[in-house]
Amino acid sequence: MIRINGHLGATLLSAFPALASRLQGAETVLTGLLDRSALYGVLAEVEALGLDLLEVRQLTPQRRSPELGDSRSP
Amino acid sequence: MARAIPRLIARGDLLAALDRAAARKVTILSAPAGSGKTSLLRAWADRPGQPHRLAVMQVQRDQHDAQQFWLALLDAVRNASATAGRAEPPAATPDFNAPAMVDRVLSELADARGGITLVIDDLHELNSPEALAQLTRLLTNLPPHVHAVLTTRHDLGLRLHQLRLAGELAEIRGADLRFSERETRELFDASGIALSEAGAALLHQRTEGWAAGLRLAAISLAGHADPERFVAEFSGSDRTVAEYLIAEMLERQPADVQDLLLRTSLLDRVNGELADLLTGRPGSERILLELADANAFVAPLDPERTWFRYHHLFGDLLRLELRRALPGDVPGLHRRAAGWFTLQGQLVEAIRHTQAAGDWPEAARLLADYSFSLTLDGQAQTMQALLRAFPPGAAQPELALVRAGGDLVQGRLDEAAAHLAVAETYAETAPPDRQRRLRVAIASLKLSLARRRGHLAGVIEQVRFLASPVTGQSNEDIALGSDLRAVALMNLGIAEEWSLGLPDAERHLQEGAALAREIGRPYLEVGCLAQLAFASKIRPHATIQRRCREAIALAERHGWGMEPVIAPALMTLAVTMAWLGDFDDCERWLRRSERALQTDTGSDIRLLLHQAAGILHVGRGRHHEALEEFSAAEHLGSQLEGSHALASGVTGLMLATQARAGMPGEARAALAALDDERASSGEIRNACAVICLAEGDPAAAVAAVADVLDGTAPVIVYVTVVEAHLLAGLAHRELGDHRAASQAAERALALAESDRLVLPFAMTGSRELLEAVPRHETAHAALLAGILDVLHGSFPAATEQSSLPPTEELSPGELRVLRYLPTNLSRPEIAGELSVSVNTIGTHLRSIYAKLHVRDRSSAVQRARELRLLAAGRTR
Repeated sequence: MIRINGHLGATLLSAFPALASRLQGAETVLTGLLDRSALYGVLAEVEALGLDLLEVRQLTPQRRSPELGDSRSP
Repeated sequence: MARAIPRLIARGDLLAALDRAAARKVTILSAPAGSGKTSLLRAWADRPGQPHRLAVMQVQRDQHDAQQFWLALLDAVRNASATAGRAEPPAATPDFNAPAMVDRVLSELADARGGITLVIDDLHELNSPEALAQLTRLLTNLPPHVHAVLTTRHDLGLRLHQLRLAGELAEIRGADLRFSERETRELFDASGIALSEAGAALLHQRTEGWAAGLRLAAISLAGHADPERFVAEFSGSDRTVAEYLIAEMLERQPADVQDLLLRTSLLDRVNGELADLLTGRPGSERILLELADANAFVAPLDPERTWFRYHHLFGDLLRLELRRALPGDVPGLHRRAAGWFTLQGQLVEAIRHTQAAGDWPEAARLLADYSFSLTLDGQAQTMQALLRAFPPGAAQPELALVRAGGDLVQGRLDEAAAHLAVAETYAETAPPDRQRRLRVAIASLKLSLARRRGHLAGVIEQVRFLASPVTGQSNEDIALGSDLRAVALMNLGIAEEWSLGLPDAERHLQEGAALAREIGRPYLEVGCLAQLAFASKIRPHATIQRRCREAIALAERHGWGMEPVIAPALMTLAVTMAWLGDFDDCERWLRRSERALQTDTGSDIRLLLHQAAGILHVGRGRHHEALEEFSAAEHLGSQLEGSHALASGVTGLMLATQARAGMPGEARAALAALDDERASSGEIRNACAVICLAEGDPAAAVAAVADVLDGTAPVIVYVTVVEAHLLAGLAHRELGDHRAASQAAERALALAESDRLVLPFAMTGSRELLEAVPRHETAHAALLAGILDVLHGSFPAATEQSSLPPTEELSPGELRVLRYLPTNLSRPEIAGELSVSVNTIGTHLRSIYAKLHVRDRSSAVQRARELRLLAAGRTR
């Protein structure tokens, strides 16, 4: 799960075709099944588009891996 | 810069922060996209009174190629230090030596007078761990007057903790770059936008001072009928700043501008012609110029303002919008761009766009067709990145050819052979118009493979195929043909060197060098000349030296003085210096050869390096160290296919050194294992004599060298004959025949005279043999004295010339006389030796004493030794 500040419109969402999105207050939450390299790809895209990344979190705790496990805020 | 970029405001606090940071070695601007890093740097650089010259480089998007990165950096440094006129522009090579490149950049920086600030923009785009590691070395070793500024979107794996601990690292981060409310107002004032205090505050709050957001807002607000309403709507929206503002900005542009921005967003750089092509309308250049004037997101790339690039974030947002608004048009746009770049000969961009269009077979065809020229252009790493961009499932058989090329460059010969086999199978089924091209490319790779493996028959076979004439060639085919012919001549020459067809090798390498010069491939010219120097071993040493130095000088002009391509000349010069007894100079050239070869793991070239190092040890009498080097050389030789005439040289050295190091048993056993052809070569006969001498059987030693002395045993170089005479002399001495011993020594001296060889005498341990030669019987007293100087070790280490009072240069005639001074010949005797009058000798002597600032013969000798004027090998 990736939380981004602001509402992403159709244009920005097209940068994340593999992820489902929903709005939550003033934020956008992207969810989807990502392996490690896909996650880094998404994060690179978030960086390239100058988006305000709030949180990255793994939603299914049973298969925990250190890369996906930690949650960060900017 | 042609014009000041408008809409930038002077951010005084930040400029002062940069000034403070510039007092340290390295400044890093690490902040997210659109924070205004580049604009800040530009404002800082263009500020009047900027005391430092700037070397600015922009890292290309997604740069995987370490060599391209370093070349761009070197170019920027040269332009800034105004040394560009001194040498050829930096050019890429197929075999790139990264550590040497860092040294080159450092030395350019060290040579530059006055302060220089090195600016590397968008360093996060550098996708080469190798290049980052080298950059760390550069940054930690910057000369005192150089400062570096890096900009990046995220922190990089640069290991700069040393600098950090020393307080030499300054950082400016995202929070520092945010616009303050005051700066926000200044920005809008500068753009001529009338906005209330509250409106500006609201906008500042909504964008959180994010530079890109404020600049996008400024574009939309320029000429807006109701700025306050715009700000109110914007702050009432929950959409992200970038998306909201880019949509607003686009909507406010005229239709043709909107269309141009969207359609050209998929290019890394754009010019008017290309934009006309993608929009299908003329007049794009005018639009681009207007955009660049009005808009901080469109920046000209050259002073003439013909090429432009979009700010990365801006371009990325436009590209997303293009994909959403005109999804069906995207592949066609890429296809058109690819066509244009192909016509311009910009193959890398052409292939990238063909890939982006999803035309995988066509992309594979382009890559395979041009893989040869791209390799020669030094784009090997870029090619590997292009290869990785193909989808893993869709196997394009033509790519096997490209993979084989990459394998070859890195010395993975088995993998290269496997990929070549796949390519060959495919070539058989390829359409007829493609077959010839593919076959030619395959043949050229097989040629390199055969050469690196030492498979000489294979080399000849491929060369024959490549030399066969073809009809109906296009211009491109002819250009490719010339490239291939030059490479084929070089490889053929190298193959002939190894099979000791030296005159043929010289001829082909000279032809290859001439062709390379004609078709403007300096890399190949240097390659041929370096090999030519190596193939010159049958020539007088003066010729060998001249060829080595010419090749090295040309390589240095192109900045390749430390690249693998010049290594054969460096090594040949090292060995030549050893033959002349100048072991210190030999060692210097040898160290340089090692550095040049640190990225090349080929058995062939490393064999030569070990051999050269061994020869130096032999000259210095370090038999055990020499043995290690020769063993390593022999081991590498065993990895080459087939037998190599050149290899008997190594084997001979190895056996003789074993015997001299007190291991005659091992040497004898190894000798017995050689086949007859090898065993009958002059080099091996000599080794056999050394073994016999070590075994205490001088009569057998005399017999062993008999074939060498009467000319029936083939020898690689005449030095082998000099050595044979000395071995015979040593054996005669053991047998008690002093007359025959002296005669043999005299013959060796006679042969060694023209090149003033020293090494054979050192190698064979002939000091006592030479000392026993009656001075009045030799016709080579001067050489004899010079050799004994070296053998006594009285040859002084090179004295720093500057620490001695300056001396006027001696004339050739004076030098000739000078060389007789260490002998005990009298003036009339020297006059007799040189066939001049005693008076002439007297004149020369007076002049010598005056020039050397000495009073008598013995101090003249001492002074001449200090100045290395007596070095037997000095021919200059």
